Amino acid sequence: MTKHSIETPKEKQNRHKAMEAINTINTMKDEFKNPIAAMDAFYELYEDVYCKQKALHEDAIKVGTMCIQIPSEIIYAFDAVPIRLCNGFYTDDEIGSDLLPQKACPLVKATVGHFASGNFSDKPHFVYSPTTCDQKTKAGATIEGFGYEVIDVDFPRMKESEISREYFRQSIKEFTVDLSRRIGKKLTRKRLKNAVHKIGYAQSLYHKLCEYRKKEHVTISGNDMFFITNAFFFDKIDSWTEKTQRVLEELKQREKENITVAAKVSPRIVYTGSPPIFPNYKIPMLIEQSDAVIVADETCSSNRMFNDMVAVDEWNIYGMLDSIADKYLKACTCPIFTKNDDRIRRIIDLVKTYSADGVIYQAFAGCTVYELEQRSVLEAMEKAGIPILYLESDYSPSQGGQLSTRVEAFIESLKMKKRKQG
Amino acid sequence: MKKIDNMNLNKVRFTIQVITFLLIVYGGYIGLDLGDKLPTFACVFNPEGTGGKCYLGMIQHDLDHPWQAFLGFAGIAFLISLFIFVLWVWVLNKAWCGYVCPLGTMQDWLTSLRKKLKVKFIEYDWANRESIKKVKWILLILLLLLPFMVSNSLLGLPKLPGGLTMPFCDICPGRMLIPAFVGDFNQFYIDFSNPTDLIMTSLGMIVVGLFIVGSFFKKRFFCYFCPMAAFQYIFSKQSLFKLYKDGSKCTKCGDCYNACDMDILEIADDIKNKNLVTEDCTLCLKCVAACPEEGCLEANFAGKTIFKSTKEGFILRMAMNQQIQKESNND
Repeated sequence: MTKHSIETPKEKQNRHKAMEAINTINTMKDEFKNPIAAMDAFYELYEDVYCKQKALHEDAIKVGTMCIQIPSEIIYAFDAVPIRLCNGFYTDDEIGSDLLPQKACPLVKATVGHFASGNFSDKPHFVYSPTTCDQKTKAGATIEGFGYEVIDVDFPRMKESEISREYFRQSIKEFTVDLSRRIGKKLTRKRLKNAVHKIGYAQSLYHKLCEYRKKEHVTISGNDMFFITNAFFFDKIDSWTEKTQRVLEELKQREKENITVAAKVSPRIVYTGSPPIFPNYKIPMLIEQSDAVIVADETCSSNRMFNDMVAVDEWNIYGMLDSIADKYLKACTCPIFTKNDDRIRRIIDLVKTYSADGVIYQAFAGCTVYELEQRSVLEAMEKAGIPILYLESDYSPSQGGQLSTRVEAFIESLKMKKRKQG
Repeated sequence: MKKIDNMNLNKVRFTIQVITFLLIVYGGYIGLDLGDKLPTFACVFNPEGTGGKCYLGMIQHDLDHPWQAFLGFAGIAFLISLFIFVLWVWVLNKAWCGYVCPLGTMQDWLTSLRKKLKVKFIEYDWANRESIKKVKWILLILLLLLPFMVSNSLLGLPKLPGGLTMPFCDICPGRMLIPAFVGDFNQFYIDFSNPTDLIMTSLGMIVVGLFIVGSFFKKRFFCYFCPMAAFQYIFSKQSLFKLYKDGSKCTKCGDCYNACDMDILEIADDIKNKNLVTEDCTLCLKCVAACPEEGCLEANFAGKTIFKSTKEGFILRMAMNQQIQKESNND
C-alpha cells in the first residue's frame, strides 16, 4: 500500500515555484529558433536550484544582499558567497502581498515573501540591505521580523556631489569592517585584489558576449542573456565563468556558420526598466516571441551588474575600497537617484552602439521610481527620435493578452519602418 | 593603433619621463641646447648639464628693466621671447608637465617609492581645492610683478630691493634639486647677507622640504601651486595637443578621476565640453588609460587621435583578461 501524506505548505510552495521555473525554462528551450547548446548548462542550473531545491554553497558563509550596491568583490575577498535575494517568483509575491501594502512592488513583495516562508535552498547567514528605494529600505525591518539579521548599509540618493562620494566610501569601509567582524577574518590586500580581478574577469566575459549582440547578425537572444546574467545572483562564480566561456566559444562558431536568433527584419530592442528576474521573464519573452530581438538592456539584473568594472590606480586596500565604492555609486543608473540624466544618456548610447530600432520600458506596477522616471525618459527618447514603448506589468501569469497586443503592435510598427528604410 | 590603445601607459610614460629627464638635466653635457624659453623647469642653476632653460627664470630676468626700455628694442625682444615660449606650448601643451618636467618626474618617482613602501596617499580636502587652485595664479602674478618693481616704482611705492629680481627662482625647489642631480649641492643655503635674501632663501629651503615630504604623500603635490602650469594654461586652448572627451559616451563612473593625480573632477563630471585640458591638467593621459568606455577619452594631436580609451585596453591594463591570477601582479 502506498503511503499517503499531506503536502506541507513548504512543499506546496516549492511545487508552485518549480512549476513557474520549469515553465520559463521550457519556453526558452522549445519556443525559440536555433537554441545555443551551451545554454543547457545554465538551464540545468536553474532547474537544480529552483525545481530541485539544490544547495550550491553548502559549506560557505552566505551573505545575502538586497540590492546591487553591496560589493561582491568584498564578500568574495572574505571567502564568503554573495547571494542576491531579489526575487522573481509569483508564488513568493503572493505570500508577500499579505505582508506589504497592496500597491507595493512585486519584486519587493516576492523578496519579503521568500523570507517569510524561510524556504531557501541556500539560506543566507545574514543580509545586507542598502538604503536604495523606499520599499527595499523599509522591507529590511519586515524581514528582520522573521528572525533574520538584516544590516542596513548607508547609500546616498544623490550621486553628483562630492559629499555623496565621501559618504558612500565611508559606508563601504564600515560595511567591510562589519563583514570582517561577522566572518572573523581579516581583509588582506592580496585577497581583495584577487576578488576584484575575479569579478573583473567575469565582467570582461559579459562584455565579450555583448560584442556579439552589437553585430548585424545577432547570435544570442536577449532572454538567454538574462539567464546568464541572472545566474550571477547565486551561482558559484568559477562555475559561472566556465559556463559563460563555453557559450562564448559556441557564439564564435555560430558566427562563422552564420547561425542567428533573429531575422534581418527583426527589430532590435533595448530593454530598460524594472529588472526581469527569473522566472519573471514575461516581457522579454513576449518581445522575442513577437519576432524582435533584445540586443541590449539597462537593468540592474543584467547590464548594470556587469557594465562598469572596478578601476584601481593604487592596488592597496584603501585604494581598492574607494574604487569599489565609486563603482557602485557613481556609475549606477538606478532611478532612485534625484536627477538621472545618466540613465537617459546610457539608454541613448546603447541604442546607438547596438544599432537598436526601439526601446521597451517596463515598470512593475508599484515600482514607484521607475514609474516616476517614465515621463522624463519618454520625453528624452522622443527628442532623440527613438521609438519607445512603456509597459506596466506585474508578476501575475494572467494579463498576457493585453500586453502581447501592445508589444506586437509596437514591434510591427518598427518592422514596417525597417522595411521602408530597406 | 590598437597596439597603442592597448599599451601599458604607466610603463610607457615612465620610460619617456626617464629619457626627457636625462635630456633636460644632463643634455648639456652632450651639447643639447633647446634655448632659454622652455615651458618646463630646465634649471639655469644647472648651467653645465641643462639641456635648455626655463622661461620662468628668463622672464623674471627680462622684466627687471625700467619701463621705458620696453618701448624700444627690449620690448620687441620680450615679445619674441614670449612668442617662442607660446610656440613650445603650442606643440606639447601641458604634456610638458606630465612627460617632460623634471620636477614632475621627481614627484612621480617619490610616488612610486611610496607605493613600494605601501604607504597610503593623502588627498587635498575636496572642499578646499578651489582655493588651492588660486595659489598658482597669485604666484604667477607675483613673479611677473616683483622683478618689474625692482626697476620701477609702481603706484608711488618705493622700488623693491635687488634681492627680488628672481623671486620665484629663490623659492623654486628646482633650483636646489636639479643641480643636486649633477652633484652640485651648493644651492642648499640660507643667505644671511641682507633681510630680503634671508627671507627668500629661507623660504626656498622650506619649500624644498615641503616638496619632498609633500610629494611623497600627495601625488603631484607641487603641481597644484606651480605658476608654470598657470602660465602654460593661458595659451593652452590653441595648442595642437589636446585631451578630448565625448560626453555622450561617459557614464560618469569616475575611474578617470580616481586615476587623476591632480584630482580634476571635470574629467569625470563634465559631459558638455570637448576639450578637457583644465588649468591643473598635466596631460599625463592616465585618465585615458583608466577609461573603460570605447573612445570616450582621447589624446589628440593636430586633429589626429593618437591614443584613445577602449574597453579592451582597459581590461588589459587592469589585468582582468586572465582567469588565473598570479598572486602579485600589477604593482
